[in-house]
Amino acid sequence: MQPIAALKQLKKITVDYFGSAHMAEQNNKKVVYCNVFTPVELLYAMDMFPIYPENHAAIVGARKMSTDVAPAAEGMGYSMDLCSYARCDLGSIKAGISPTWGLPKPDLLLVCNAQCGTLSKWFEVLSRFYQVPMVLIDVPHSGRGERDEAAEKYVRAQLEDLVGILEKMTGRSLDRDRLKESIRLSREASQLWTRMLELGTRRPSPMTVFDQFVAMFPIVSQRGTPVAVEFYGSLIRELEERVAQDIGALDNERFRLFWDNLPIWPELGRLSSFLENRGASLVTSIYTWAWSQLGVSEEDPFGDWVEQYLYTFNLHVDRRIDHYVELAEKYQLDGFLYHSNRSCKYISQDIPEIRNAVTERTGLPGVIIEADHNDPRLYAVESLENQIDNFLDLLGSKKEGAAQGSPGGR
Amino acid sequence: MKLEDPWRPFHQVVGKPLEQARLWKERTGRKVIGHLLPDVPEEILHAAGALPVAIAGAGVQISRSQAHIPGYSCSHAMGALELGLQGDLDLLDGMVIPYVCDTTRNLYHLWNRCFPTKANEFLRLPKRMDYPAASAYLKAEFARLGDSMGKITGETPGREELAAGVALYDKSRARLREAYRRQRAHPELWTSQRVYELFISATRMPREEHLAWMEALPWDDETQGTSERIPVYVRGKVWDPPGILGLFDESGLLVVEDEIVTGFRWVAADAGDSEDPLDALVRRHLSTVPYAGYHLEPSRMVGDFVDRVRKSGAQGVIFLNPKFCEAAGFDTPDFHNALQEAGIPDLILETSSRGVSLGQTKLRVEAFREMLSADLP
Ligand code: SF4
Ligand code: SF4
Repeated sequence: MQPIAALKQLKKITVDYFGSAHMAEQNNKKVVYCNVFTPVELLYAMDMFPIYPENHAAIVGARKMSTDVAPAAEGMGYSMDLCSYARCDLGSIKAGISPTWGLPKPDLLLVCNAQCGTLSKWFEVLSRFYQVPMVLIDVPHSGRGERDEAAEKYVRAQLEDLVGILEKMTGRSLDRDRLKESIRLSREASQLWTRMLELGTRRPSPMTVFDQFVAMFPIVSQRGTPVAVEFYGSLIRELEERVAQDIGALDNERFRLFWDNLPIWPELGRLSSFLENRGASLVTSIYTWAWSQLGVSEEDPFGDWVEQYLYTFNLHVDRRIDHYVELAEKYQLDGFLYHSNRSCKYISQDIPEIRNAVTERTGLPGVIIEADHNDPRLYAVESLENQIDNFLDLLGSKKEGAAQGSPGGR
Repeated sequence: MKLEDPWRPFHQVVGKPLEQARLWKERTGRKVIGHLLPDVPEEILHAAGALPVAIAGAGVQISRSQAHIPGYSCSHAMGALELGLQGDLDLLDGMVIPYVCDTTRNLYHLWNRCFPTKANEFLRLPKRMDYPAASAYLKAEFARLGDSMGKITGETPGREELAAGVALYDKSRARLREAYRRQRAHPELWTSQRVYELFISATRMPREEHLAWMEALPWDDETQGTSERIPVYVRGKVWDPPGILGLFDESGLLVVEDEIVTGFRWVAADAGDSEDPLDALVRRHLSTVPYAGYHLEPSRMVGDFVDRVRKSGAQGVIFLNPKFCEAAGFDTPDFHNALQEAGIPDLILETSSRGVSLGQTKLRVEAFREMLSADLP
């Protein structure tokens, strides 16, 4: 397998980002901790510096530092049943251990519960710890994604109030031109990200979901800046060349699989090689799709944010099932790998129902492996590999059956 | 004529939680609607002509639900689903699941898939308790709930029905508050276990009847208790494990106030009169002590809590934290530290931990009591 050259830029991008983060105060920029479903474009327009604690925690996990820091959070009284991103973040602060020289102290915590409720609780802890204000953008989801005018008003009011809070904090008023610029950059990054994900529909797929996980850093942390746009521009150029030359991420793509949920960050390298050795290519994932629909318009960004937070990202189970069924067709999948993630109840609790419904509708098998996205103490990687191995055997015999024309093959 | 044991009927309702609802349904031919407690306004369900019945999952033996929801979910969600899958909830015509956390959000999805023929509703509660726009939103949401319940029962509640519902439930709350207070003066007669049964049974039968039954209680008996009890304050979700209050009684602890969703918190605030009864319900909701799933300015959440504990006169605090509950899990360490700073001892019990017996909990509760009594001047 040929490594993707564009990914080499990431080291510098990451170092530069955290370098600037630590310089923010000196550069008169307020530091805002936030999450993916917050209007980060506003923060850039106000010349503030957004930081994503989840992202920092993911780096802790990927660098295999979770077990150095999470126990410190547990020592503070945070149970091992809580989200391991939060435990790694709080533990990293407590233990003073971090791959990014820590994170600079925030001036504001901005969180939106269109994602999970856990983040609000975690940010409440940070707010008390740093004694800084917290703004929650509260999104009351409708249970089946049906429209709700009162909720739209409520969310919009909060977003509009946020502008006033940011203006008061920074002592300047919102620069509409800068907002337009950051909206344009953010939308462009999100569109490029989508284009990249869609390249996975090619046979063979030029990149795997593991590569996407590695490539996520700029879309997560720098959506709204030129850095993300430039990086994904160059990455896509390289991937399109690969497609033109029929170069796949795997030399021998036997199985095309879907990955549900967050990565298992501490096992990224190991599971990637494990699957590669078996010709199994993860070609798409629900997780990486989250960053693909984040663009808003310059004309009515508030309306678009409301729409996204209330409806687009309302991951109710029927919508998820429909989406997976579409992906099965679009990506010509052979099966589904579901990571039932102990730490992310929000995205995991529906998995058994989804698996059954998707298999029923597509005829494609799926396997559920229970693990954790950041805490290797909560799973045994060998057992995950065994489960995946058995699943691939099943897919293999299905393929053989199909090749021999027997019923039951896809 | 006085009933022989006026506590017995309540005890029986708790033992057979859906029996009264079944009898009522047979008698009236009307609809029974279940709800998963935290802050579902029963008044609205009542005003739509339905009987609201609280469904509690804690303490239910888990088996079938494991195929539908991962084992790292709290017992309230798993237990409620289990009851449904066992067929225990077949009687229900609908179910209201409130948005309190990610787990109930997902439980609502699963409920629809597991029980597609029932009318299920997700009550979209706002999380911000100290934000002005939240009350307008909540009012609209309560109105939507009324319409939705009306679709099930065929009677969309109007102003009059709502006002009657509010008056009835306020009256019931006042009576239950009084019962709760009696624990202090007469802890031997008004034991925590008995008061608990009064509260729980109220959520499982027609409230008018419950009020009538309560009249038979020994309100006039002024016999003072002799045993010395240590006042404690409890924060948590529900009385879990279900035998916990009996255990407090045995250990000589007296719950003087609590933030349990089926405890004092549930009856602490009345809705009162208002031109529009929905305004009254919104006011009641927003003045109820916020459960861990809600959001307030974060340092206020802790500061207000310590103030409440101080005011209650409790000598210690017990946390009943359901295993796998993120909301409680994130709050507790800071709440605990603030109590320590205030010199108030506490005991953190993780409830519904599979493999932890009531006996083990008892040991810890007794040790805590010993510690508190040693602390007494
Ligand atoms: S619970 Fe899930 S979505 Fe929420 S912070 Fe943790 S990993 Fe992220
Ligand atoms: S708030 Fe906690 S206990 Fe209640 S349903 Fe959610 S996870 Fe379970």
